[in-house]
Amino acid sequence: MEVKTKGLKLADILTTIVIAIVFGIIYKLWGPLYSAVGVFGFHLDQLIYGMWFIASSLAYLLIRKPGVALLAEVAASSGELIMGSQWGLEVLIYGVVQGLFAELVFAAFRYRRFDAFVVSLGAVGATIGSLIMDFYKGYIEALAPWNMALFLLARFIGAILISGVFAVSLAKALEKTGVTQMWRPASKDDYDALNR
Amino acid sequence: MKWEVRCRETWLHETNPSLKLIVLVVLFFAVLFIHNPNVLINVSLALFVLFCFGTGYPANVLFWLFLPFFLVFVSTASSMMMFGEGTTTWVRWGLIHITAESFWRGVHIGFRALALGLLGLIFSLTTRPVPLFYSLMQQLKLKPKYAYSFLAAVRLLPIMLEEFQTIRYALTVRGVPNKGGLSKVKRYAIPLLSQSIRRAQRIAVAMEAKQFSGSGGRTFYYEIGFGKYDIWLVALFAALMFAAYYVGVHYPYISISDVR
Repeated sequence: MEVKTKGLKLADILTTIVIAIVFGIIYKLWGPLYSAVGVFGFHLDQLIYGMWFIASSLAYLLIRKPGVALLAEVAASSGELIMGSQWGLEVLIYGVVQGLFAELVFAAFRYRRFDAFVVSLGAVGATIGSLIMDFYKGYIEALAPWNMALFLLARFIGAILISGVFAVSLAKALEKTGVTQMWRPASKDDYDALNR
Repeated sequence: MKWEVRCRETWLHETNPSLKLIVLVVLFFAVLFIHNPNVLINVSLALFVLFCFGTGYPANVLFWLFLPFFLVFVSTASSMMMFGEGTTTWVRWGLIHITAESFWRGVHIGFRALALGLLGLIFSLTTRPVPLFYSLMQQLKLKPKYAYSFLAAVRLLPIMLEEFQTIRYALTVRGVPNKGGLSKVKRYAIPLLSQSIRRAQRIAVAMEAKQFSGSGGRTFYYEIGFGKYDIWLVALFAALMFAAYYVGVHYPYISISDVR
């Protein structure tokens, strides 16, 4: 029997990081898109901001262990940094804070629920993390009130839609490919299949 | 990390990666707490000079790398200029309300975005992943199972890019229209992710068999230490920050000393 080690196993860490690096590429490509949408003004760009929280949601949905949400977000943002993100070092610090807040939400549910509701709450947590950084960096509290309300609303809605609802649909599609079998305990159906 | 672009190795490449990371993170937080636009403009200019002459890349590469930062500068600054609060009105046109306060605040956060971007670019242009993770293990005691997982994942990047290209060709051959926002992301993400997860699981088995997950003491193929350039690094950034602060306070460009 394998000795139960504390924390994540190497296989969990490696898959989390690999998933995160895939999203690191997407995060990097998302940057120019975000800037392009931002030209239209009225905080339309905030609607797609939520993509930057998806690595933690998806890693949590697939691997379902404590710590993977934080690790995934840190790995994705460092991947983005290494590829030369247009925000530079900022993405790494944002990644740490966002991952931490998403992780706290999942911890609050004791890593037992893996549905759209919890993941959306995780996305909301990550959004709050990003807003805390924005308050320091961008003086967003100095925007006119109607403008700030629009800003906040757009970011929260975008986060829930992309890192909540969309992440769940991605995870479901990935479950169908069978790659997540490694982390799931054998079910009753599996034993029945053996007896058939 | 540009594999295809050749660059001259500068003294910044020789510095200890962990130390460089720490120095730049400290600068990051320092920049966040600068509220005087004069100081911030000086810091940005100093970092820009370092970016141009310290990273060892040819001018045309630097130009293309810098272009997105300019976009970020404009987009960050304009939103605050047009919609920020203030008392001294310059222009009012419908919802757009430009005041002296919001204008300078916009300039300030534009320069801040620029400074933070340059910090990251200087780091990623002068740091190779292998020495970085070896240094993180040796100086900052990052657990080897995390560091080697990162390195293995970095090695998978070119394979992923190749697979991305393959999926694109496959979709083109099958006549799938190249449009759609999230559905397009999904079309690419599912095969990319599932293949990557399978590959990661196989690599993990091999790495566990070779005791990369072990918690015992390790020896390292690359020993990363400190050298004279590390003293230069700390001294240079300390001098830059001090000079930027001194010049900004005593010889200001504009009369505003706090944009809040």
